[in-house]
Amino acid sequence: MAFQILLNVFLAFLWMFLQVSFSAHTFIIGYLLGLIVMAGMRRFFKSRFYLHRVWAVIYLFLLFLKELIKANLDVLKLVLRPKLNIRPGIFALETELKSDWEVTLLSNLITLTPGTLVMDISDDNRILYIHTIDIDDVSEAVDSIKNSFEKAIMEVSRG
Amino acid sequence: MKTNDVIFQTVAKVVFFMIIFFAVHLFFAGHYYPGGGFVGGLLTSGALVLLLLAFDMKTVQRGFPVDFKWLIGIGLLFSIGTAAGSLLFNVPFFTHAYNYFQLPLFGKTSLHTAMLFDLGVYLVVIGVTMTIIQTIGESE
Repeated sequence: MAFQILLNVFLAFLWMFLQVSFSAHTFIIGYLLGLIVMAGMRRFFKSRFYLHRVWAVIYLFLLFLKELIKANLDVLKLVLRPKLNIRPGIFALETELKSDWEVTLLSNLITLTPGTLVMDISDDNRILYIHTIDIDDVSEAVDSIKNSFEKAIMEVSRG
Repeated sequence: MKTNDVIFQTVAKVVFFMIIFFAVHLFFAGHYYPGGGFVGGLLTSGALVLLLLAFDMKTVQRGFPVDFKWLIGIGLLFSIGTAAGSLLFNVPFFTHAYNYFQLPLFGKTSLHTAMLFDLGVYLVVIGVTMTIIQTIGESE
């Protein structure tokens, strides 16, 4: 990943030196040319071609926006309901994410989507304790988080 | 009762860079826009305090092995040196000189000796703030 971006920047610089014009304009053209050449050579890299990961980041962002709007509408319905028949509760979510930044990103995404709130993380970063506003089915809530956010984050961090 | 600070520490590591960049931007903006040495220094020590909150004193001192009491002295030297430098040219104390230069990357830039004075203020503010906070934090 880092090596591929570095190679791409190097190719852009090479293009600038070949053209003998040192402007941002030439750099961008060289970068795009490098992208095309590297896409052709993608079988020879150890890891995935890095555009996959860029797309995964964009996908995660769009998913987050979608969930944010959906969940806010849910909370709006709860607030406007005349009778408040909700069952707040805390459940544990076992996560498969390893590194610090993945766990942080997942916790912040869960917290930013209303109705759920990360309260604590176990010492080995394996279990998130989540407070939810209306708990009808724990397994359903776990599945929905696992299938949306965790999957998308794994798609980003996969080598 | 030891809690797991993984979220706080990861976010602090990222936000630290943003605060430092904003502090440097404020420091350089001080001549024409709001900002300057004092605010820049306070923001820089604010970024360091954020690290102190997220991690502990020893980690931050390993990362930035600076004795902040020295910064106060160096900053005062910068300020007094800038003020006294005008005496060499037979003009009153604290007279500033400035001119326009063509720098390779920045283009036409005005360089002013008030900048050096501001750098002194910046260093003194960082030194004083961090010394106060560290001495309060270390005393049991």
